[in-house]
Amino acid sequence: MPNDRIPKSAADGAPGAQTGRDLKQVNDKLRELISSLKSNHERLTEVRAPAAAPAPRDPSPGSPAIDLEKKRLAAELALAREAVEHAQAERERLRARLDEIEAENRRICDEYVTVQEQSSELAQLYVALDRLHAGQTREETIAAIQEIVINVIGSEEFAILEHREGALRVVHAFGVDPDPLRAVPLDAGAIGRVARTGRLYVAGREGAPSPADGDLSACIPLRVGGEVWGTVAIFRLLGHKPSFGPSDQAVFDLLSAHAGLALHHRGGAGAPRAAAG
Amino acid sequence: MDRKKILLVDDSSTVLLMERMILSKSEYDVVTARDGVEGVEKARAERPDLILMDVVMPRMDGFEAVRKLRAEDATREIPVIMVTTRGELSSVETGYESGCNDYVTKPINGLELLAKVRSCLGQ
Repeated sequence: MPNDRIPKSAADGAPGAQTGRDLKQVNDKLRELISSLKSNHERLTEVRAPAAAPAPRDPSPGSPAIDLEKKRLAAELALAREAVEHAQAERERLRARLDEIEAENRRICDEYVTVQEQSSELAQLYVALDRLHAGQTREETIAAIQEIVINVIGSEEFAILEHREGALRVVHAFGVDPDPLRAVPLDAGAIGRVARTGRLYVAGREGAPSPADGDLSACIPLRVGGEVWGTVAIFRLLGHKPSFGPSDQAVFDLLSAHAGLALHHRGGAGAPRAAAG
Repeated sequence: MDRKKILLVDDSSTVLLMERMILSKSEYDVVTARDGVEGVEKARAERPDLILMDVVMPRMDGFEAVRKLRAEDATREIPVIMVTTRGELSSVETGYESGCNDYVTKPINGLELLAKVRSCLGQ
């Protein structure tokens, strides 16, 4: 409480009742002052209230606040729409990229399969060639041809025939009766035709097979230089192998070029013989 | 990654060479045996990750060899793929009964063999 608001007489310290009156007077003046301050405060509060108050909850339509809010919301909506459009475009881009990656993946898988098939085919050819030329004797070479026909081509019924004395004569048979093949005339059936023309025969490749050829599936000419030295006649294929594939053609070509040569270089024809099937 | 070791058991040089060529280029180490007896011995000694077992072989056939492998603690967990021909397809059930995990047919298809080998090796 500031001292300047206390009456001079009271401050002077008059003794007794005078002092009590003075104090009462001072108290009254203080009450008036407080009352006045309260009143002023209330007025100031009333004056400041409208400016500081929040926007009315339900302002009347067309008011500036509503227009402002509408503009703000419209701007926000436009931004949101733009964001959605952007997200949709990005999704489409990613979807297209995914399609591209899937197509690329399929292409690579196809290429992988092709490369593996080629690799397998090369392995077959390498194995066949290695086996054909690894044999030191005629018997070993015949055994190598047998393994190639069984394990690479996939047949357990075949015969090797040599061209001698005007006919084809069986020198080795596996899984088939050699008797009908002991002397095959060059003008008889697909086997004779192969020996005569030097052209590979595959059943069904050039029209329906002749009933006279029976179960013959393929006949490979065995060449020595430009001459047909003999043939490999392949009859029924293994049960789980329905037909010849592209890799078999390469093995046929290899046998045609190398098997006759390998046999020829390992001595003349021996006595015809047959192996059990 | 460690190279997996595969034991090839077959009496045919052609099949062994074929399998070796297909598997070696796919970064497998390969050891070979020529019949069931040698196959069981090599399995004990080499502890391969997988065995390709022919069925018809001299001295001991593939079924008997697999039974012996399954009877021994050291070899019972080694996966075995039987390699069969047409006549043996009817014996596939016998192969499974003896304890083989899968089979492939001759003539060997490189893709099929690699797929089954990888499957058996969990690759």
